[in-house]
Amino acid sequence: MMGPSGCGKTTLLRIIAGLEGMTSGTIRLQEKDITYLPVHQRNTPMVWQSFALFPHLNVQQNIAFGLTLTAHRKAEVKRRVREIAAMMHLESLLDRRISQLSGGQKQRVAIARALITEPKILLLDEPMSALDPHLRVRMQAELKRLQQSLGISFIYVTHNQNEAFSMADRVVVMNRGSIEQVGTPADIYSRPTTHFVAEFVGSNNLFDGEVIEVGQDTVTVRCPQGTMQALWREQPHQMGDRVTIVVPAERVFLAIADNSAENKIDATLRGFEFMGSQVIYFLETDTGYEVRMIRQESLDHSLAIPINSRLQLTWKTRDTVLLGERIQ
Amino acid sequence: MTQKLPISTPRSPARWLPQETSLLKYLCLAPAIIYDSIFFLLPLIFLVWIGFWSVENYRAVPGFSLSNYLDIFSQFFTRSRYGFAIAQSLWVAFTTTALGILLCYPFAMALVFLVPERLQRLLLVLAIMPFWTSYILRLYAWQTILNNNGLLNTLLVRLNWIKDPLQIMFTQWGTRIGLLHYLAPIMILILYLVLRNTDRTLMGAARNLGATQWQTFWRVVLPLSKPGILYSAVFGLIISLGDVLSGTILGGGTGQSILGKFPLFSAIILNEYAASTNLPRTSALATLLIGIMIVILMTGFKLAESEQ
Repeated sequence: MMGPSGCGKTTLLRIIAGLEGMTSGTIRLQEKDITYLPVHQRNTPMVWQSFALFPHLNVQQNIAFGLTLTAHRKAEVKRRVREIAAMMHLESLLDRRISQLSGGQKQRVAIARALITEPKILLLDEPMSALDPHLRVRMQAELKRLQQSLGISFIYVTHNQNEAFSMADRVVVMNRGSIEQVGTPADIYSRPTTHFVAEFVGSNNLFDGEVIEVGQDTVTVRCPQGTMQALWREQPHQMGDRVTIVVPAERVFLAIADNSAENKIDATLRGFEFMGSQVIYFLETDTGYEVRMIRQESLDHSLAIPINSRLQLTWKTRDTVLLGERIQ
Repeated sequence: MTQKLPISTPRSPARWLPQETSLLKYLCLAPAIIYDSIFFLLPLIFLVWIGFWSVENYRAVPGFSLSNYLDIFSQFFTRSRYGFAIAQSLWVAFTTTALGILLCYPFAMALVFLVPERLQRLLLVLAIMPFWTSYILRLYAWQTILNNNGLLNTLLVRLNWIKDPLQIMFTQWGTRIGLLHYLAPIMILILYLVLRNTDRTLMGAARNLGATQWQTFWRVVLPLSKPGILYSAVFGLIISLGDVLSGTILGGGTGQSILGKFPLFSAIILNEYAASTNLPRTSALATLLIGIMIVILMTGFKLAESEQ
């Protein structure tokens, strides 16, 4: 579940866990209605943003916590703790105090603690936000592997789209307490269905305009920035419809003089940003609208276009996405 | 591009705060240090020092001798029975403190977890209010309540719950009630602050892992509030050990307990001070009590520290 802060993704996660009340709807866990099940009977363990490890217990006691709440033989608890500690590479840390652990270790303990009751689902609330960037990438891969080897569902809340796209099989984009779009990362990335998703995900240019011509499978749209074409999607459009054309920044190219490309606009280069292997160009149209273009190039092999150069940009109609709605 | 914008960095506010070496720090601390030195530390040192003086011809003579302490310990369990009095004091202090925590902990917990934020402060002020009236006055007020024909007994007899009035006045229960009334605001305040600072995510985490509310209390809330319990216990013990008034006004000076009829140690010190001319010996007795308090203080703080 991905969305900007305050969109309700953590609240939704807490509702699933039963930590937050709800006014309507049902929650089903593998066909079983758990809507009215009290929080401690749900077995929907959570990995907290702050890890929420018990500071008065050591690693072993933290991991065993969920098992010791119900009748279990001591040997059984010990065996399970050792099993799960081995899985999370925590064997050597079992006697440590929580305050003696690093961020990454804390997180592994938090995951081990959540998995000890063999849940059918694991909830993760921005578990990476307290980790170093390099550790984050490693933990992402580790979590993904863990999820696949356990074969249970992970519901992972994040505001970081790279995290969501690299780990998820299905992404839910949320905004202002409601779901904007559900789909595979590829779906969300290349076929956004709402204005919000198009703006939030990736690096897209959005052109609002009015349909002035409906063709075989394309529509022609007049935007303040110029006239453009787009493929129409599910619903056929009519003349005069207010629509938005989404053009991914990495699909925008510099027009070469004899190019007979479908869409062209004039713009002035205002600046650029190096992002390692790619460069983001910031351009301004004559109407004062910002257009972004992403190109794969390095600092050494840059196009070295002077600032304030007049350029012509182009993109292919099939690279665009048409949105039927237009939010002011 | 990346033209450097002429950003005017505002001077960091830290620069205006007093530095480690600043004179301001000492200037601010000076009044407290001077006041405490003159009115607390100096008398205390004087008290301990006098404990080593001796008496000749009914006059205290400065010097350094252990005679007072030898005298005290030679009759520790015999003539003056100081040892029993100390045991009695410790017994009253420990039971009162335990009772105080048992009463104040649920109150503080209810305040933190059940009362809405806006009302918490008001209720806290109400709980601390007894502090606004004089301690002695409050003890006399308790007398009128606890008397054989006082408010409580009259009520209980009228309600036919008891036949004969309960003897609370001039027993150790009287002493404890007076002390509890004095201790409760302090204990409630300490426990309230500690419980309020408990990370609520941890309680959520416990519930999320399958703990009932009861288990969450025993496994998480109680262990995490242990420092608060220890701190309030230290305060309770020290105040109870040093208090004379409750034991005199409500407890009647002596009290029957499982140890027998012995006065409290603090009352002995006061009596000796009033009755005898041997100030050095009284000072030695007082030093003994201070020593016990320091041991309790250090043990309590050490335990609380290892908890955190």
